[in-house]
Amino acid sequence: MFQSVSLEYFLILAAVLFSIGSIGVLTRRNAIIIFMSIELMLNSVNLTLVSFASFLGDSAGMIFVFFVMAVAASEAAVGLAIVLALFRQKQTVNVDEVNIMKW
Amino acid sequence: MSLTFIFFTVLAILAIASAIVTITARNPVISALSLVFHFFMLAGLYLTLNAQFIAAIQILVYAGAIMVLVIFVIMLLNLGDEEKLKEKFNLRKVIAVLLASVLIIQFFLIYLLTRSGKIEIAENTAKLSTVQSIGQVLFSEYLLPFEAIGLLLLAAIIGAIVLAKRKLT
Amino acid sequence: MLIEYVPLILMVIVGFVLAVVFLFAAEWLGARRTTREKQTTYESGMIPVGNARQRFSVKFYMVAVSFIVFDIEVVFLYPWATQLTTLGLTAFIAVIIFIVILFAGYFYELVKGGFNWD
Repeated sequence: MFQSVSLEYFLILAAVLFSIGSIGVLTRRNAIIIFMSIELMLNSVNLTLVSFASFLGDSAGMIFVFFVMAVAASEAAVGLAIVLALFRQKQTVNVDEVNIMKW
Repeated sequence: MSLTFIFFTVLAILAIASAIVTITARNPVISALSLVFHFFMLAGLYLTLNAQFIAAIQILVYAGAIMVLVIFVIMLLNLGDEEKLKEKFNLRKVIAVLLASVLIIQFFLIYLLTRSGKIEIAENTAKLSTVQSIGQVLFSEYLLPFEAIGLLLLAAIIGAIVLAKRKLT
Repeated sequence: MLIEYVPLILMVIVGFVLAVVFLFAAEWLGARRTTREKQTTYESGMIPVGNARQRFSVKFYMVAVSFIVFDIEVVFLYPWATQLTTLGLTAFIAVIIFIVILFAGYFYELVKGGFNWD
């Protein structure tokens, strides 16, 4: 049973990491930590893509990982700029205090 | 116990542990550093999957570039020492953990109901994941997404400048 | 497959263990004679001014953003560069378009003064 690492092991690991990331997004109120939890979730999806790609012998998954990385980098640049603008405006990074758009 | 299995287990446990530290640490700097560690563990997992180039890019882009940005913002906002956000135990946290455990249970149900039967990495993976092979596929089949990524990066750089350029008081 | 990475893994482990061993060996073996001069931040250096926990300027963020975007650009160009001769003209034109698009972003940042330090 413990001789080889099958595809399911990687998928379960990715699922657990994704869930940890989602717990982080839902429980923390610090915008930067929420942002890092989103990175965790993106990375677990990357792990899923790469494990499918290498177990099926198809490089499409690996190409997708490139695109996901580019999207994550753009998201990091704009998202953190939003956090900066928010801090400048309200002197806080607590997402609960950001309710100007709330009706 | 094969070498791959030991390697996978160690990396998986360290990855999960550092992910938990990332979401629970009070200090955002500790959180960010443990996320860097997590990225290194994921790069190791990509090596067990025979995806060498992806592993290198993982360290280069995530641990090298994105985390630099995050650390800069933490330093910029000077959040390290005065983490005064009220993060108390409340109903929302309980609901969040509940939702996440439902998610995990769903994943496990899917695991129990379906078996892929893939127990070995395909033989041609090591050849597919080289820089040359990825370049060959990326620039023949995926040219349009590649151009779209160019536009996305343009949008990112313009958006970041528009949002952040004014002086930080 | 993984067996080919054993030297790499060994190197990482040896590097880590060596760093830890040296750190604790220096702590354990070194003589410890504390004087007031030795306890200063920079021994026989300048006297530190102010607090280290000052806010950074947003200029550093602008540099980091430019770095991240062009880092991604290089990541995409590298697989293309290894296959330059076999991919042909179509890929070449596509990459030129990609570089021109990103150069527009660079130009925008230049005009907006993103690279000005003062």
